[in-house]
Amino acid sequence: MSGHHQHEGAGRTTSPYAARIRAIEALLLEKGVLTEPEVQDSISYMEARSQANGAKLVARAWIDEGFEELLLSDAKAAALQLGMEPEHPAEFVVVKNTLGVHNLIVCTLCSCYPRAILGRPPDWYKSFEYRSRAVREPRAVMREFGFEPPESVEVVVHDSTADVRYMVLPIRPPGTEDMGENELADLVTRDSLVGVNVPRL
Amino acid sequence: MGGVHDMGGSPGGPIDRGQHEVEDWERLADAINAALGGKGLQTTDQHRRAIESLEEYRNLSYYERWVAATEKLLVEKRVLTSDEIDERAASIRRRWDGL
Repeated sequence: MSGHHQHEGAGRTTSPYAARIRAIEALLLEKGVLTEPEVQDSISYMEARSQANGAKLVARAWIDEGFEELLLSDAKAAALQLGMEPEHPAEFVVVKNTLGVHNLIVCTLCSCYPRAILGRPPDWYKSFEYRSRAVREPRAVMREFGFEPPESVEVVVHDSTADVRYMVLPIRPPGTEDMGENELADLVTRDSLVGVNVPRL
Repeated sequence: MGGVHDMGGSPGGPIDRGQHEVEDWERLADAINAALGGKGLQTTDQHRRAIESLEEYRNLSYYERWVAATEKLLVEKRVLTSDEIDERAASIRRRWDGL
């Protein structure tokens, strides 16, 4: 990992903030506020996380009722059980879609997201448009992602905060009865973990 | 009234679903922020307050806001000064420009 960011030049980016964060890094290292390994560990921490973790949690919940119960009651304990490192000061809450309720996650104030599990949120999740509209017209928002629950389904929008981060447990698609855990996990997209879409065969 | 960040429920246009490739400086901004948090030098709430009080909030990209906020907190806490960050950033840019 050494040299991960030593070769960035002006051609890589047009943001003046690229040089500012390099300057801040250099000064913090020189003053001993942070060490190089601490910065590296922090980069590796985030790189090691992605929606694949969420997909694993969902697939296991689909095939194991006891695990589903744990996931819904103590999501961090469930993540630990699958070998993940869910430690984070914020709560991690999983909400379950049913035939009567569809859940949608947003962070209207910023970009709060279960990063300890899923890594960085996608750009659209952080966009002003998504943050503004998800609570006002969730169905219109979902339509833009190619999905809309039937009229009879209640849409529940969860506004994340610095202290509580949400993930959706989607419904297992019909026709997947013969699928194994890994195959099931492949159906679980990041969009379905936020609720703007659902897993499909 | 809420601040500039308090946009839930406001009208808005179509959502751009494109994803930009995360650049190294953005990874670094993320990492420095988390490392400072790990050392107890800043909290999520402090970082949020710094982001939300940026005059340029709407004109900056996501990680630009993060860098500006981290800088603001480090200066407020007297860990670094604006002058030394300015000076070092200028020297880094000169190096990148091959000057």
